[in-house]
Amino acid sequence: MLSFLLRRLGDVIPTFFGVTILVFLMVHLIPSDPIEMLAGERSVEPERYAELQKQYGFDKPLVVQYLNYLGGVLQGDLGKSYVTKRPVIEEFAVLFPATVELSLMGILFAISIGLPLGVIAAMKRGKWLDHLTMSLSLTGYSMPIFWWALLLIMFFSTTLGWTPVSGRLSVMYFFEPVTGFMLIDSLLSGQEGAFSSALSHLILPTIVLGTIPMAVIARMTRSSMLEVLGEEYIRVARAKGLAPMRVIMVHALRNALIPVITVIGLQVGVLFAGAILTETIFAWPGIGKWIVEALNRRDYPTIQGGILMIAFVVMAVNLFVDLMYGVINPRIRHKR
Amino acid sequence: MALLEVKNLTVEFGSEDKPFRAVDSVSYSVDRGEVLGIVGESGSGKSVSSLAVMGLIDFPGRVTADALTFDGQDLLRMPSKRRRQITGKDIAMIFQDPMSALNPCFTVEAQIMEALKVHEGGNKKQRRERTLDLLDQVGIPDPKSRMTAYPHQLSGGMSQRIVIAMAIACNPRLLIADEPTTALDVTIQAQIIDLLLKLQEDSDMGLLLITHDLALVSEAANRIQVMYAGQLFESGPADSIFAAPRHPYTQALLEALPERSEGHDRLRTIPGVVPGQYDRPAGCLLAPRCRYANESCVNARPEVSDFNGRDVRCFYPLNDQGQPTGLPTGETV
Repeated sequence: MLSFLLRRLGDVIPTFFGVTILVFLMVHLIPSDPIEMLAGERSVEPERYAELQKQYGFDKPLVVQYLNYLGGVLQGDLGKSYVTKRPVIEEFAVLFPATVELSLMGILFAISIGLPLGVIAAMKRGKWLDHLTMSLSLTGYSMPIFWWALLLIMFFSTTLGWTPVSGRLSVMYFFEPVTGFMLIDSLLSGQEGAFSSALSHLILPTIVLGTIPMAVIARMTRSSMLEVLGEEYIRVARAKGLAPMRVIMVHALRNALIPVITVIGLQVGVLFAGAILTETIFAWPGIGKWIVEALNRRDYPTIQGGILMIAFVVMAVNLFVDLMYGVINPRIRHKR
Repeated sequence: MALLEVKNLTVEFGSEDKPFRAVDSVSYSVDRGEVLGIVGESGSGKSVSSLAVMGLIDFPGRVTADALTFDGQDLLRMPSKRRRQITGKDIAMIFQDPMSALNPCFTVEAQIMEALKVHEGGNKKQRRERTLDLLDQVGIPDPKSRMTAYPHQLSGGMSQRIVIAMAIACNPRLLIADEPTTALDVTIQAQIIDLLLKLQEDSDMGLLLITHDLALVSEAANRIQVMYAGQLFESGPADSIFAAPRHPYTQALLEALPERSEGHDRLRTIPGVVPGQYDRPAGCLLAPRCRYANESCVNARPEVSDFNGRDVRCFYPLNDQGQPTGLPTGETV
C-alpha cells in the first residue's frame, strides 16, 4: 500500500510543476500590461513605470521571474493582490471553506441521487423507468448551469418563496466564523434558526452545482452495472441462493463502483468550474466568485493564486480517489 | 422417487409468437448416488436446461415443464424465496470458467462463507472452520493461507477447486457440473473430475455432469443423455450407449473419437454445425447433417420413442450392427 501511495505521488509532482509553469506564463501571454492595468486610467510616467517594473520584478529574465515565483509558491507565498494589497493566500484561506462547503454538498447530492438512479436504471433496463431516469440525466447534463440556476430561483425562490435567492445566511444572524463552514458555525453559534437559514441558503446552489456530476454518475453507474450484471460471478452468486438485493448491492455494485469512483474524482474538476458560475449567480462568497472578480480587475496574482490552488485541490482529490480505488479494487492494490 | 425429475422441460427466448426454443421438451431424472452425463455439441441446450433447473433463466426467457420436481417438491410453482432456499443448498452448480466464476472483489473465504451464512447460519467462527475443512477437502494445499487470497492470485485449477468448495459447502444432494474442466489444462482436468467423483461417492450425491467430452462421460457416468439443438436424441445406460448407439448422431459422435479412427488418415467429423435460431430445418433437426436422412426425415420431425429399451428420437434407429432399421423397402444406404 505504501509503495502504491509513493507511485501515485510520483505522478502528481510533475503535474504540479507543469501547472505552476502554465499559471506563471499566463500573465505574460495575456495581451495587456499588468502595470498599465495597475495604474488604471491615468497614464504612467516612464520613470515611474520603470520603478514599478523593478518593484514587481518584471525587468528580470523570464526564467528568473519563474524561479522567484516558484520559490514563493513553495513557501506558501502566492503574492499580493494588486487591488486589496493583501496576500493572496490569506484571501484564499478565508473564502475557500465556503467553496468547499458548497462543493461537498454538490458532490454529496450528485452521488446520493446519481448512484441509486444508475442502479435502478440498470435493474430496469429497457423498461420505462430506465428510459425516464436516463432522459432526465441527459437533460441535466445538457442544461447550461446559469440558465438552470435562474429557472430554479424563479420557481422556488420567487414564485414559491421556499428558499432564499442568494447569499450564505440571512442578515438576521451574525457570528464570527470559526471553521468557515456555515453549517457548522451556525450550529456553534447557538443562535436559534441560524442553522436552518444556512441550510436553506445551500439548497439551490447545491442542486445547480450537483446536477451535471449527478447526470454523469448516473449514466456511468448504469453502464458499469449493466456490464457487471452480465458477468459469470453474478450468476454464481445467484446460484448460491442469495437474495436478488444482495446480489445487486454487494456482488454487482462493489465491482461496478470501480469506474464510477474514477468518474467522481474527475467530476471534482468540473465541480470547481461549475462553482465559478454558481457562486456568481447565487452571490456565494467563495473562491469562484473571487476569481471572477479578480479576472474583471486583471488582478493577476489573485487569478494565478486562485487557479494554482484549485489545480492543487483537484490533484489532491484525484490522488485520494486513486487511493480509494486501491482500497476497493484488490487487483490494483496487489499489483507490483 | 428420483431426486430430480424433469419432464418435458422447455426453455424459450424471444417473442411470444415466434419463440426460439433453446431447450425443447427434454425429460430426464437423476437419482441420489447417480451420475447422469449430458453430452452434445455447443448450442445443444445442455447449459440452458441446467440453468433452468437452478432457476437462473432470466426474463425474457420462459421456462415451462410438465414436471420439474426436486425430492417431490415442485420447483416451478413454489415461491421464489422458497426456491432460493433449495438453490445453493440442496442443488448446487459448478460453472465452466472458474476464472470468471469468482467475484474479483472478495476473498476466497468471504465467498465460501457467504453461502454458509445464507443456508446454514451459525457463527463466524464455525463458518470459518467449515470453510477451512472444505478447502482441505477439495485438495487445496495450505488452505489457511489461501483463505484470504483474492481470485486474481489463484491459478485456474485452484479457482475451480474453490468453486467446487463453494458448491459443496452446504452438502448439496444434487450437484450440477457444467463443463467443469473445459477451461482447464489436460493434467488438471483429470484431477478435477476425480475430485468431483470422489465427493459424489462419499456423500451419495446425485451428479449431473454436462460435457462435450465423450471419453470423460464414458468413464464417469452411469447413464447418458445425448442432446442436439435443444432436443433429447438418445438416452440410456452409459455402457450400452457406447457399445451400440441407437441414434445416428450418437454413432457419428462416437466415430469422431480419436481412438475409434484407427485405420483412417483423418479423424472423422460431422459436417456442418448445430442449427441456430434462424436456420432450423422443418423436419428432423439433424437431417441436414445425417448420413441416413431421406425424404421423410426432411419433412417430418421424429418423436422420442422406445427402441430396445432406449429412448431414441429417430425414424430409423440403428441396430446392433450400426445399420438403420425400418427404412422403406428397397431403400439402402
